[in-house]
This record gives sequence, C-alpha cells and structure tokens, in this order.
Amino acid sequence: MIEFRNISKVYKMGEVEFVALKGVFITVRQGEFLSIMGPSGSGKSTLMNIIGCLDTPTEGFYYLEGENVAGLTFDQLSTIRNRKVGFVFQNFNLLPYATAYENIELPMLFNGKKAGARRQRVSELLEMVGLSPWARHRPTEMSGGQQQRVAIARALAMDPPIILADEPTGNLDSKSGHEIMEIFSRLWKGGRTILMVTHDPAIAAFSQSTIRLLDGAVQQDGAAT
Amino acid sequence: MRMQLLHLYWNEFRKRRKKTSLITFAIAWGALSLLLLMSFGRGLSNAGSVSFKGLGSTMIMVTRGQTSKPFQGLPRARRIHIHMEDLELLKRQIPGIALISPEANNSHDLSYRGKESNRSVNGVYPCFAEMRSQIPEAGGRFINDLDQEKARRVAFIGWSVARELFGDTDPVGKELRIEQTPFTVIGVMKKKQQSSMYQGPDSETVYIPFSTFCQIDFQRFLDRIHIRPAHPGDALFMENQVRRVLGRKYRFADDDANAVNFWNTIRDYETGAKIFKGIEMFLSVIGALTLLIGAVGVTNLMYAVVKERTREIGIKMALGARRRHIVMQFFLETFAIFFKGTLWGALIAFNIVSLVNLVPVGYDDFGIEAYLLRPIFSFDILIVFLVVLFVLVFISGIFPALRASRQNPIEALRYE
Repeated sequence: MIEFRNISKVYKMGEVEFVALKGVFITVRQGEFLSIMGPSGSGKSTLMNIIGCLDTPTEGFYYLEGENVAGLTFDQLSTIRNRKVGFVFQNFNLLPYATAYENIELPMLFNGKKAGARRQRVSELLEMVGLSPWARHRPTEMSGGQQQRVAIARALAMDPPIILADEPTGNLDSKSGHEIMEIFSRLWKGGRTILMVTHDPAIAAFSQSTIRLLDGAVQQDGAAT
Repeated sequence: MRMQLLHLYWNEFRKRRKKTSLITFAIAWGALSLLLLMSFGRGLSNAGSVSFKGLGSTMIMVTRGQTSKPFQGLPRARRIHIHMEDLELLKRQIPGIALISPEANNSHDLSYRGKESNRSVNGVYPCFAEMRSQIPEAGGRFINDLDQEKARRVAFIGWSVARELFGDTDPVGKELRIEQTPFTVIGVMKKKQQSSMYQGPDSETVYIPFSTFCQIDFQRFLDRIHIRPAHPGDALFMENQVRRVLGRKYRFADDDANAVNFWNTIRDYETGAKIFKGIEMFLSVIGALTLLIGAVGVTNLMYAVVKERTREIGIKMALGARRRHIVMQFFLETFAIFFKGTLWGALIAFNIVSLVNLVPVGYDDFGIEAYLLRPIFSFDILIVFLVVLFVLVFISGIFPALRASRQNPIEALRYE
C-alpha cells in the first residue's frame, strides 16, 4: 500500500543543508497500524508529510497504492490528500471560524460532493465520534478531546484508506488521549491503514508494530520482525 | 458544492469585517470621488456645449473687415463692407448653403405704456432663429416669411426685454413702440444659456423682419451675414468659398485673412468641446487615482490577511484544497471589499448628484453655477467606471491571492 524506496529528503537553508531523511525503505501493508517513534529531529514529521503528499522527497521513489507520486502537480497531490489520506494533527488544526459540522464538511467541499451526501456523511461521522449535539459549536467552545474527535471525523470525511496521525494525543490529558486511541483502534479494526507518530510508548502500545527513526534513518522495523 | 464553498468563504470574510471596515471606507471614498468627478466633469462639458450653442450652432457669421495686403495694385487697409446683394451672390455661387440670413442692427428707444428702454433692434430673416437657437415661448412665434414679404411691423423680443417693459403681463399681442412706431409683439424668446455674444445677449435684443428694419432704419451696409452649411464638416471650406467669392467682387486676395471676418461657431464648438473633454478626462483621472489609493490599501490589507491566515491555508491544503480554491477565496474577498465600498460610494454619489440637480440655475446673468450644478450620470460614465473598477479589483486582488496559493503546505501548517 505504501512503499518507500530509498527515500531521502534534504532541506536547504541558504548554504546549509539539513538531511531529514536518508535512504529510507519502508513498506506498509493495507490494514496495518504502525507507530513511528524517535526523538525530535529524527525525521518523523518529514516522513509523515511525504506519506501524506504534503511534501515531496528529494531522492528515491514513493509508491502509494502502486502509483508513483513523484512528478505529480500540486493539484494532483491535492486530490491524493483529499481522497487517499486523512490527517490528524497534534494541535487539531480546525478552522476557528467554522462549526464542528462545517469543519467535517470541508474536505467534501473541495471534492464537490452533493449536498445530500455531505449532510448524511457529516451526521454519520458526528455520531461515530459521539459529538452529534456539538454540530453547531465552534472549536473554541469545545474541550481538546472533543476538538480532536472533530478532527478525526474530518479526516474520515472522504473515507480515505489511510489515516496519518501526528502525535494525536500530544495536547490531551491521558483520559482524553485514551478515548482518542480507542477510536483509532476501532478504525483499524474496521480495516483502515493507520500511521501514527508518537513519543509515548503507552500510546504506541495501541499499534500493531513500531518503527524507530534516528537521524533520518530507520533503526528497527517492527513490521519486519 | 460551489455555493457551499462560497458560503464558507463568506462566513470567514464576515468574521473579519471589522478589520475591513476602514479599507471599505477608503474604497467608498475612492468610488465616490471617481463617480462625482466624472459626473461633474460631464455636466461641465454639457453646460459648455449648451452655452456654446446658445449663440448659435453650426453657423458661420461673416462681418466686414479691412484688407491686410495690397492686391492688384490696390493698397492695403481698405475697408470691405458687406451689402445686401452679396447674399444673392453667395447663394448663387456657393453650393451647399443650407440657410442664409442678413443681419442689420441699431440701438433704438423702446416703450410700452410709459416704460422705456434702449435696446438693440435687429433686422433678420425667418431662418435666423434656427441658426441662433432662438425658440419662442409657448403662445408666441418667430418672424415668418409673410412678415418678411409684407414688411409687417412685428417684433420678437428677448426675455429680458419682455420683463423690463411688460413685467408680469404676457407681451404677445401687445403694442411695443420702437422710436414711436407701433409694433406687435409676436413672441418672446425662451430662456437659453449663452456664453458668447456681440452687442449684448440675445435676451436683451428685439428682432424684426429685415424688410421692416430697412423701412425704419436705413443702412447702406449689412452688419452680418449668417450662413449655415448643409454639412457641418464643410465649415472651413465654406469660409474659404465665401472669402473667394467676396474677394473677387471687392478685389482682395484669397488668402487675406482680415478682409472680411468670420465667426465660425462650428470651429469654436469643436475647440471648446475638446477643451471640455480634456477637463473631463483630467477629472476622471484624478478620481481614478483616488480609487487607486484605496486599491493599494486593499492589496496591503489582503497581504496581511493572507499572512494572518497562513495556517488556515495550510489546513485547507492538507484537506485537499487545490490552488484555485485558495486563489478564489482571497480574490473573492478582495472583490467583496470593493463591492461593499463601491456600493456605498455609488449610493452617496447618486444622491449627491440628484440633490445638486435640484438647485435652480438662473439664465439671466451668465453664471458659473450652470457649469457646476448640473452633474450627470450617463451610460458611458458607468462603463468607464466599471472598467476602472474591475481593473483595480483584478490588480489588487490577484497578487495576494496568488501568494496565498503558492505557499508550501508544510510551512503554512507550521506557521504561528
């Protein structure tokens, strides 16, 4: 499903070059729940960004569902982000002016789904994350856990096969974090592929396997062992 | 989907309306200035052309002159007078004369029931009225062919003369005495704007048939001949023809500019119209520049808005927004600011123009207010305004919108 072949990412800041990833090989099969761990600056986020098509590798090949992502235009990458991956961020990244309902609806607006289909999908998702009564509330009126649940619902709006979560519990207390992880477990059991960056071994324990990154290279591939 | 997306954009825009109110005011001010300057400029232009036509439109006046160069052994500085026979000569020799009228005038004492005055009395042909834009008030008429043929003692009087001698009573049908000779008043001139004149405005003049004039005031020479060419474009050609024909008769050179004098209202009108058009354009440019300042402000604001919302742009990109979604949003916001400002500006401008037009304008003394108090909106002003507006919307909106859409999604997401 996700295949990295010798992926490198180099950031250039003037004269200085910063190697974020060097020669990474990863294969993630469909339905896997993978944690990515590692200290700050080890390249976790870069890895996630490349998988999510927010960033492109400097070198190497990335196949997403058998398709080579290199060389696609911004708009083609947008379509992939819209249909194939759902992002869940550490700081939720909800639109502050929009209600929970509108936030969840957003990916479908960029895709041009019909109004009826959108309405049905949003209510399904609100139901699923247990926030139906909160549909008309704005993010500022909700707790962190609720906001993150809205974000998960939003990530699922286009029913993508892959969920990318970057420290999804990082800004939450342990109880809310636990609730969030239970939702992820349910999604995984429902057949979705989940990749999650985390610091916390207790959170990583929810996943099927773990890979560790250090200085841009994979240390130990849990999936392989 | 489009509507829903527009709804979202609208909501996000509304949340920030307080921040945009000042710039909306700037746009309103700019639109107001542009519209007012254009409509006042057009009013000025119109008043100019109306009062130019007040003397008369599309006509050439020929008056006596003095030769400025020797010709065929004759010395320079000979006086050249125009005679009644010249009228027939010109008509016969020059094709393309539509109307022609002699004019002779002299100051005479006028009286009506003890009220007295001294005004210019002019003898003319019936076609004179048409050339000089003289329209009778309801109930009256100008001199006609029969008056001329029978040398009737009838008079057509300017409105100032009418007020001076007759006060509030209707002069038509009353007996006006010119040097004790009784004349019947047949019409009063309708008020008109007149910016150029000789021997006083038409409003202070009495017109009688040329044939009658010859009976009460014998003059050897004509004061003027009025000619209207069949085609206004022939104005200069007509001038040269008249000079050539008269030159042959009175023996002066074809290129002697001073032998007879011309007052060519067609050329005057064209020059005047160009000057007024120039002023109108100048005013429009000033207005457009005022609006441009507002537009620069909008661009500035939009750059700030783009920066402020970098993170939201990143979020939208992560959720699958294409470049055009982002461009569209910021472009539409620019448009919305312009739209709101322009709406207010136009509303105020229309009201000011309507109000100013309610102020009465006097016709008696030639006042500046006729130029300043008659602004008009017309279709072409609207078109020019919209074109200027859309160019400014496009220029001020497109660059911030493009910058927004060209951001790197990761950096946008990280932006605090």
